[in-house]
Amino acid sequence: MTTTIAEREVALVDLVDRLLGGGVVIAGDITLAVADVDLVYVQLRALISSVATAQEKGLMPRMGGSV
Amino acid sequence: MIQLYAITDNPGPPLPDVAPLKTVPIDGLAAVCAPAGETEASPEMLWRHEEVVEALMADRDLLPARYGTRLEDEAALARAVEDRRDELAAALDRVRGAVELSVRVAAAGAPPSPAVPPQASSGAEYLRVRAHAEASHERTANAVHEPLAALSRASVVGRPRPPELFRAAYLVEREAVEPFTAEVARLQDAGAGLSFLCTGPWPPYSFAER
Repeated sequence: MTTTIAEREVALVDLVDRLLGGGVVIAGDITLAVADVDLVYVQLRALISSVATAQEKGLMPRMGGSV
Repeated sequence: MIQLYAITDNPGPPLPDVAPLKTVPIDGLAAVCAPAGETEASPEMLWRHEEVVEALMADRDLLPARYGTRLEDEAALARAVEDRRDELAAALDRVRGAVELSVRVAAAGAPPSPAVPPQASSGAEYLRVRAHAEASHERTANAVHEPLAALSRASVVGRPRPPELFRAAYLVEREAVEPFTAEVARLQDAGAGLSFLCTGPWPPYSFAER
């Protein structure tokens, strides 16, 4: 991914939604406990608020700056 | 312990050199796994996992696994995939040749949902204002979703999280990614007061189990 750090942080919302809430679930352990997931969301909120200023004038694209 | 990254076709192209990956063949499918690492779920770990899946996605179709899927060993993985073999093969066919794009829309600058307006002198008035705001959100969502859905194979509209007005995932043919992002750009230009975030291409996480 050729993205700036700020773009990665904004895209983290989409990443967390997908990795922790999507994907194929086959038998076996999902080792991530609910507490871990909550922790990720807490870290996520911290990151998101840190880029809020950059985001103010419009949300940033992740994909090659094409949008 | 091993961790699962993705289910893909067997045989497939050589594995990328981004992790000590191994494939476990199961009747026309292959499960791509690696020795399990730490169990924490920091943003860095999530990105590292994502980079492996994206490297795989570069030259093959796949069903990404839920993050944190671990199994005792390759035999246990083979058994688990075998149990759902036909279902997984059908899911892989559904996403073949396509990638996922995420679209989120927020109101630029302004708070998206008005608080109780000072002029709402009664409960009925408050409800009327709320209903008006909700209808306006719905019009926005439709105006965004319909042209994008027309350019995609499938879509999943999610529940927007404030301050978002709309969020959805689209399953888009690899060749249609450019027309799709061009349409997002057109909607952004046309949608005064709306701010768009389109990310991807992602592995088809939102379409792996439906």
